[in-house]
Amino acid sequence: MIDINRYQSMAKLSLSESERARISDHADILVKSFDELEKINVDNASPLISVLNESNILREDIPRKFTTREELLSYAPEQSDGYFQVPKTID
Amino acid sequence: MDYFIIDYNVEGQNTLALEDSIMQKGRPITAGSKMLDNFIAPINATVVDKLSNEYKIAGKTVMDEFGIPSFFSGESDEISGAIKAVVDNAVSFSLCNDVFGKYRKQAADNKLCYIHPTYGTVSRYGLVPVASSMDQIGIVCKDMREGFKLLSLIAGNDEKDGAMFSEKSYSYDNNEQDLTLAIPDSVIRMADKNVQDAIGDFAKNFKTTSLDLEHFNVYKQVMYILSCAEISNNISRYDGVNFGYRTSNYTNIDELYTNSRTEGFGYHAKLTAIMGTMVLTENNYKTYYDKAMKLRRLIKDGVSFEGYDIIVLPCDIGKDPYDNLSLYSLANLAGLPSVSFSYKGQGIQLIANVRKESSLLTAWEVCMK
Repeated sequence: MIDINRYQSMAKLSLSESERARISDHADILVKSFDELEKINVDNASPLISVLNESNILREDIPRKFTTREELLSYAPEQSDGYFQVPKTID
Repeated sequence: MDYFIIDYNVEGQNTLALEDSIMQKGRPITAGSKMLDNFIAPINATVVDKLSNEYKIAGKTVMDEFGIPSFFSGESDEISGAIKAVVDNAVSFSLCNDVFGKYRKQAADNKLCYIHPTYGTVSRYGLVPVASSMDQIGIVCKDMREGFKLLSLIAGNDEKDGAMFSEKSYSYDNNEQDLTLAIPDSVIRMADKNVQDAIGDFAKNFKTTSLDLEHFNVYKQVMYILSCAEISNNISRYDGVNFGYRTSNYTNIDELYTNSRTEGFGYHAKLTAIMGTMVLTENNYKTYYDKAMKLRRLIKDGVSFEGYDIIVLPCDIGKDPYDNLSLYSLANLAGLPSVSFSYKGQGIQLIANVRKESSLLTAWEVCMK
């Protein structure tokens, strides 16, 4: 059984009792299925991070305009004086 | 209309629908989540910019939140908007991101075709990210030839997507090649007798060879572990600060984050965030995430395409959706192109080597003559 309280706090979630019970049931099914992995030896394999064999394709680092500060801020739930607005974070 | 989240009232030939995870500048986009309820797309997705005047966008289709379906038996599995819009002739095509195989299966179930292109050939710029190492825009269509014609328009390198092949364009043609089909017998035996018969009948048109898909028994686990890790990472951007939904119930920054995410995400996004966080924590990283990445290497290397051109798989092995996930993992984990369609009333999936889509089209045409 996984420690739902620990992971919900790390994932910045606050689950209701019913959600916690349902997630607990589903997580148990999934984690139990992961047991199959234990039987396989992967010592000689390297992790596959990207399926693309090509190396990174880089472009010249030339500055260009994406959009305006005003437009980006217009998507914010709350803004003030040209900044994103959040509650006080330091005393 | 129950499949369109937004209906543009466009009719005629060559109309297409966009899954509501593909951006059109100035139009709302939700990716199926309350988290993006009032969000207006700031850009056009590259696939939208690449469409010629020949194609008209007719609407945005409803979708599972961030494309995450339920993997558990007994939970509702409604037909997707992108599929239903084509079934009902509202549009000729849908563009969507099929990470978990739901569109590939439903297309075949509904006598449509689904083209899942090689990873890195269609730009994801302007696509709401789900599982980045597997995200790939694909096409729902009625006729594979028409689907590939549309694919040739939207495929090709885009400097705005950092994970792409360098080819500027692709053409997909029947290459009249004598194809050899690889048959993973042990997997096909898991399907219904009718499906096995249909695959046997389909294979009569080709040379065949037997294939052992090593590690098939853990495909779904590897797929789930890697995708939930990537999704939990990608949806960490939704925090109520820069864009998207913000709770009205907070007194400090931690409550703003937590309550915005708790109120904004639905059940499957929450489950995925919890599972993704779990597999990425220090205690579990080696056991789950790192091991899954190593198995991904073994799975990819296990399909060499030496001595065969195409792997054939069923679209359904009849148990719960989590078991069926195994059938759709190979293309995503190895970045391979696939098509799914109905043959003699049964769903068939074909998978080819990287950038060998033309073999898939060729095989389909051989059997649909």
